[in-house]
Amino acid sequence: MTDEAPQRTIVAKHHLLVRLAHWLNVPILIAMIVSGLGIYWASPVHQHPPDRVTGSRDYLADAGAFVARHIGVSDVKAQREWFYNHFSIGVFQLAQSLRLHWMFAYLFMFAGLMYVIGIFRSGSYRAVLPRRGDVREAFAMIRYYLRLGKHPVVTSKYNALQRGAYASVPVFGLLAIASGWAMHKPAQLGWLERMFGSYDGARLVHFWTMWAFIAFAIPHVFLAIADGWDTVRSMVTGWSAHE
Amino acid sequence: MSEEPQDPPVEEPVPVVEEPVIEEAIIEEEPPPPPPKPSLLHRLTIETSPEPRVVDAATLRRQTRRDFLLFGAGVAATAAGAWWLLPKHLDSVAVRASKERFLNRALTFDDDVAEALYSPNRAVRTYSRRDVTPLRNNYHNPTPGPAYLSTWSLTLTGLASGRDAVLSLNDLQRLAHRDQVTRLVCVEGWSAIAWWGGIRFADLLAAYPPHPRAKWAAMESGVTDYYVSIDLDTARHPQSLLATHHDGAPLTLAHGAPLRLVVPMKLGLKNIKALTKISYLENEPRDFWAERGYSKYDGL
Repeated sequence: MTDEAPQRTIVAKHHLLVRLAHWLNVPILIAMIVSGLGIYWASPVHQHPPDRVTGSRDYLADAGAFVARHIGVSDVKAQREWFYNHFSIGVFQLAQSLRLHWMFAYLFMFAGLMYVIGIFRSGSYRAVLPRRGDVREAFAMIRYYLRLGKHPVVTSKYNALQRGAYASVPVFGLLAIASGWAMHKPAQLGWLERMFGSYDGARLVHFWTMWAFIAFAIPHVFLAIADGWDTVRSMVTGWSAHE
Repeated sequence: MSEEPQDPPVEEPVPVVEEPVIEEAIIEEEPPPPPPKPSLLHRLTIETSPEPRVVDAATLRRQTRRDFLLFGAGVAATAAGAWWLLPKHLDSVAVRASKERFLNRALTFDDDVAEALYSPNRAVRTYSRRDVTPLRNNYHNPTPGPAYLSTWSLTLTGLASGRDAVLSLNDLQRLAHRDQVTRLVCVEGWSAIAWWGGIRFADLLAAYPPHPRAKWAAMESGVTDYYVSIDLDTARHPQSLLATHHDGAPLTLAHGAPLRLVVPMKLGLKNIKALTKISYLENEPRDFWAERGYSKYDGL
């Protein structure tokens, strides 16, 4: 028997600012999507000629009406508004949506700045930089997730698929911010609008960055939980157990 | 099991990686030459594995508990904030008022940013007449009938002369006619490129100067009961027009006959139609959509 206190070996994993930015982004992105769709309702980016029966021009409202019909919503108006009533703050909420969107947009940029400072202060940005062999390893990871192959040997902090995802998310964030400003201030920031080709080009990019965030976030949550407690805990505490 | 031919297994002995035992003893020999310094690019881009640290397990447990308690407090605060902010739970007048103040502060902050971005010397993008797109009539209320046109006039108050001016369309059209093709951006998200003709607001300000302390123009339509506030910096911008023409023809009722404001550096809702009165004021006047939860400044 020894008098020594039990000890554990750990490694630093996430900088405090990275962790703060990560968790702040959860409510921020939800608020941005919910308020953003409330704005989108007023003038959808993707429109078709008005439907002869419903008068709808909006693919998203159509998709919502399709779902609503199949889950037993019988009222035609409720069908038409189903998507926006469930995934935005509602129809005819433009002023409210805009105010929420501006407020959370500034918070989003603030969280983004925290994240950038965090990855450079800790040097952890190096872990997400793409490197040779990433494409092959990313496909190996996809095969592994589809139960078609073995887990490739990963010696770095992240596997190639994670690297690709974690490096693209800040790019999507930057695109969302840049296209947002291009739409918000097309006169004073005309050069930014031109970078997206046109005003509607910026709207298109802005709309699709939302789907990029959704496409990232859903598997991200499942995979982080599947990876285990150590991974989830490390985003709260900053450290990971050393094997 | 498949019996496909495979590469002959390489009988390589598995290297046994042993942690080098670092002796604390003083090495008498000459220290080995230091390894070559990695290049700057290498140091900036190549991932290094973090140094493992040995820590006291009890301290670590305490820190972890603290971090998760803080995390839980953050989650609880966020949930409470979301509950307060969500529009569907506006049951009490007091909550509504405090929420409105809070959201309007975000709006005011964004307006301040917009005002800081504004430069009177920056022209908005102009287009060719070939780029013109259909322009929607977005009247909030029904489009007015033509009855008012025969008695229409524009009243100016708050002038340096101290007297009001009542101008006919002919009076206005004595000022130089300008054409411009600019984009109108609606707060709803759609936009249209339109060819406008009319007089410069700046020319009207020069011909009928406002009193020297005036900073604002209250623009009103007695026809549609619509009103917007315009700061005089924007009014003096060379691309701010009092338009009489659209697509080379006099304005139609749908587009604000006989005179409307065209301010391409502001959102479409500031481009008031069927203008009948301009008052020059020291303090910011009321604005129709600002009273309904939208921005006051609306600078693009």
